[in-house]
Amino acid sequence: MSAAAPLGSAGNPSARLGLLNRARTVAPHDYNRFLVPPAALAVHLSIGQAYAFSTFNLPLTKLLGVTQSAPADWSLKAVGWTFSIAILFLGLSAAVFGRWVERAGPRKAMAVAAGCFGGGFLVSALGIHLHEIELLYLGYGVLGGCGLGIGYISPVSTLIKWFPDRPGMATGMAIMGFGGGALIAAPLSIFLMDHFKTPESNGVFESFVAMGLIYSVFMLFGAAIVRVPPGDWRPIGWTPSLTPKKLVTTANVHVDVAWKTRQFWLLWGVLCMNVTAGIGVLSQASPMIQEMFAGRVSAAAAASFVGLLSLFNMGGRFVWASASDYLGRKNTYFVFFLLGILLYALVPSIGRAGSTALFVLAFGVILSMYGGGFATIPAYLRDIFGTMHVGAIHGRLLTAWAAAGVLGPVLVSYIRDFQIHNGVPKAQAYSVTMYIMCGLLVIGLFCNLGIRAVSPELHHREGEA
Amino acid sequence: MILVRLKLALLWLIVGLPLAWGVAKTVQNAIKLFQ
Repeated sequence: MSAAAPLGSAGNPSARLGLLNRARTVAPHDYNRFLVPPAALAVHLSIGQAYAFSTFNLPLTKLLGVTQSAPADWSLKAVGWTFSIAILFLGLSAAVFGRWVERAGPRKAMAVAAGCFGGGFLVSALGIHLHEIELLYLGYGVLGGCGLGIGYISPVSTLIKWFPDRPGMATGMAIMGFGGGALIAAPLSIFLMDHFKTPESNGVFESFVAMGLIYSVFMLFGAAIVRVPPGDWRPIGWTPSLTPKKLVTTANVHVDVAWKTRQFWLLWGVLCMNVTAGIGVLSQASPMIQEMFAGRVSAAAAASFVGLLSLFNMGGRFVWASASDYLGRKNTYFVFFLLGILLYALVPSIGRAGSTALFVLAFGVILSMYGGGFATIPAYLRDIFGTMHVGAIHGRLLTAWAAAGVLGPVLVSYIRDFQIHNGVPKAQAYSVTMYIMCGLLVIGLFCNLGIRAVSPELHHREGEA
Repeated sequence: MILVRLKLALLWLIVGLPLAWGVAKTVQNAIKLFQ
């Protein structure tokens, strides 16, 4: 903790005047640390809306025609780019602004994230009003994406510092919010569009304005209540273990050093493979269950299957990340990869056996591990590189998410199309995909097995530039 | 002490209620559609 102090501006008296300044967020020693997770949740529950952006896809293609697409309306493909741009800028902004987030402190970072994310909705609303898709890309995609990236890493590194005794549970709590955000945003978007629709408008413009304002206020609430622990603070009754575990360091590694280490890139591979396998399925979940159980699962039931997967995704974030405090981070990922390989390999047989319940259960567990992978990685980074620059290192690692966001869905849909084109029945077109997912998880398994502690020569020393 | 507990309860309620609403809506839809 003390090593993190130079990043703040506690020594600068003029900086103390700024309401958003890091120095103003330092809590007293007796501060109840359980007052901090709601701040992280307020931000993550808001930015988690991104997972439910698809709720707007169809309405955005009917802005002019209202009940059906007019010739001049945007195409679904053109609208679909908005989400991809947002995820791309999430990864880029987290990587680029990670160090600034650590230096500026969580309150300023969360306020900036609120401005970007809420402002992104408002710029997009203007684009909808003027029917200029470039403004939609610029608003939700670029500006909103930067809000996603900055808002994602800031609360996570703050909670890690408050819970040195339970870092997995802490990051699980924050990142669970990101999964939960979609569960709120989907019904909220539908409610708002229903509320604002008129015979001349499908209510998307007004819904974007309303969501921009709602999310800005909620995220600013998080920024207002967030606190960082004092430099020498420790939980009552907790002392760092005198016999540290092999893969849990008490030292720190500077972000500029960390990202050049073998460990960083192995962890990048771990996250990328885990996310690719999960996101590929998530993106195709609805058509997949309908085609594998043709005639038995309706489109409506498939939609509820996607909802259930979101619940598993959210629950897995908290449960697996908390469990990793006891299992150890390396062992937790070992379970993710081994169990994932087993379940993916079983899915074609489950499909042939026609057991919908087993299919739902298998994918529920897979998606819980997808969420768990996201939530456990910051704690893994903290174990390997220390707490000093964990937010900045996490930011750079999130480029793995951006890569997986493209790789996963493309792999699943490309292989499916290739199979169907070559005469494979739709119900069996996913079998090869499942085996390829197994292959990806095997790569992830080996990346995880290769992770060792960082050499002490690379540890940061006090006073070092 | 009581004030801290009240603040704790209030903050968790503010973030917990929307989440509980979202979870309830999802479960409700899932049950309705699988019936």
